[in-house]
Amino acid sequence: MYFVSLTARNVYTRKVRSSLTGIAIAISIAVVVTMGVLTHSLRRTAVSILRTGDADFSVAQKGVSDVIYSSVDEKDVELIRSYEGVENAIGVLVDMTKLDEDHPFFLKLGIPPADLEGFGVQIVAGRKYEPDSQTEMIIGYRAARDLGKTVGDSITIDDDTYDIVGIYATGQVFADAASMTSLVGVQTEERKPGVVTLVFVRITEGADIDGLRSLIEHERPELATVRTESEFGRIDRNLELISAANIGVSALALIIGAVSILNTMVLSVFERTREFGVLRAIGWSRMRVLLCVMMEALVVSLSGAMVGVGAGFIAVEILARSPDLVGVFQPDYPGGVFGRALAIAFGMAFVGALYPAARAALLRPLDAIRHE
Amino acid sequence: MSDGAARPPAVQVFDVKKSFEHGLVKALNGVTLTIGQGEWVALVGPSGCGKSTLLHLLAALDTPTSGRILVNGQDISSLPNQNRYRRFEVGLVFQLHNLLPNLTAIQNVEVAMFGNGLSHGEQGERARGLLEAVSLSHRQKVRPPGLSGGERQRLAIARALANNPSIILADEPTGALDSASAEGVLDLFQRIRAERGVTILLVTHDREVAAAADRIIQMRDGRIVETAASAPAG
Repeated sequence: MYFVSLTARNVYTRKVRSSLTGIAIAISIAVVVTMGVLTHSLRRTAVSILRTGDADFSVAQKGVSDVIYSSVDEKDVELIRSYEGVENAIGVLVDMTKLDEDHPFFLKLGIPPADLEGFGVQIVAGRKYEPDSQTEMIIGYRAARDLGKTVGDSITIDDDTYDIVGIYATGQVFADAASMTSLVGVQTEERKPGVVTLVFVRITEGADIDGLRSLIEHERPELATVRTESEFGRIDRNLELISAANIGVSALALIIGAVSILNTMVLSVFERTREFGVLRAIGWSRMRVLLCVMMEALVVSLSGAMVGVGAGFIAVEILARSPDLVGVFQPDYPGGVFGRALAIAFGMAFVGALYPAARAALLRPLDAIRHE
Repeated sequence: MSDGAARPPAVQVFDVKKSFEHGLVKALNGVTLTIGQGEWVALVGPSGCGKSTLLHLLAALDTPTSGRILVNGQDISSLPNQNRYRRFEVGLVFQLHNLLPNLTAIQNVEVAMFGNGLSHGEQGERARGLLEAVSLSHRQKVRPPGLSGGERQRLAIARALANNPSIILADEPTGALDSASAEGVLDLFQRIRAERGVTILLVTHDREVAAAADRIIQMRDGRIVETAASAPAG
């Protein structure tokens, strides 16, 4: 018999209690996985907006609840463009609207047609829209495929009908599933004259990107520059809140799981006091007793975690099909989320089993054998 | 043991005292005794006379208040590793056998061998050999609740022998058995002593059980009051 077989057998012997503890851990881990995937996927979706512009970094209003509510004056775009080291700065007004039940979040980007090329847009069919047109639009090839539209068709968004004059590609999944029209047109519709949501900045080769970002933020304290995914919270507090909630949920799951393990293992050690006394009397070391209890906790915890990961996966797929999240939440399963679930399961076992394991290891064999 | 003369006595106890409750209860009050290699000694006496306390001290499950205990010439109060001593030097047999109810007979023997340096296969082989030695080969997959009282005690003896100890310390091993089963256990002790040359110290309050030993040591009030060679059976 192997040592690990002994621990598994001990867990199996108390199967009802072990299963109930495993269920508590499974629920905790399922929540961790669901929240982790949700946060990661929403962040990825949000960040993909920033990456649309083929830029070195982006500029938005600092501290808004959602990046979509960012408001940057077009004069600031001109100012940024004037800085040494800036090759191009393109202001884009982003509008998110409901197209139909299948497309509750459809992006409409207002951008001057002259900036399309600099924005990384390649027209693959038809032509660009006219600078002042409020009825012409180009759509990404993914959107065209998804909606069954082509050049010459029309599309109705928020009661406004547009003529599709071109199909474009950017190489960015998110942008290729969106639409673009004239900046002036979107500003008029949204009643935001002279305002853009984001500024996409590309720098000249060899320019000091960090120096440039500092300069912008110094000159315009109400603006924030974003280069990496981790900086996104500076311009999107909602995502930052979701990330914080994710961390909070993980910590809570760790505590709930650890308390469940603690409860189970304390009971188990108490019931088996005599057994541990006998094992010590026949030569088991304190360390081996400690390991035995810790491994039992680990078996329960990891078994629960495996079920929890499966349950989390199912929960994510159900969420992704929720009408409220279609289009915004596209599940992405990063290894880090599962790694964290595994680490939390290990943490639960370690934290929860430490006290009972130490208690078992420190028993005096003679007292333990006499225990009734 | 055949080479007993070349080795120190199996057990040497020098003026050992043991008290509890801050000295209010004196369990042992100056015990001195020597047990030779391969000898079978029975410790007898009324309840509370200190015989189990002495056994616990010899098993390093407790420490004396004063005095010295040497096992195979080594002072066990200064052992660097008492786990190792309990594993390799002595084998314990309890009155209530103290087997693990969730493990099969063979697993109960194997559990005493974890970390003894043998491979998994060697441990299994030795466990099977020991079960055969105690006539439990056919019961190796049975858990203790499915065994009779005599079988459980034989299994406990097999576990005590798992790491080839030189001394068996048995605390009332026949106390919970009927006479037929008790006789079977005593026969087993006799046989393993003959085959393995182990020293046996058996605590009992039963004079008939004690008669199976080479020597009977009578204790009363924490002292040895009489030592006598056992009368031949029959």
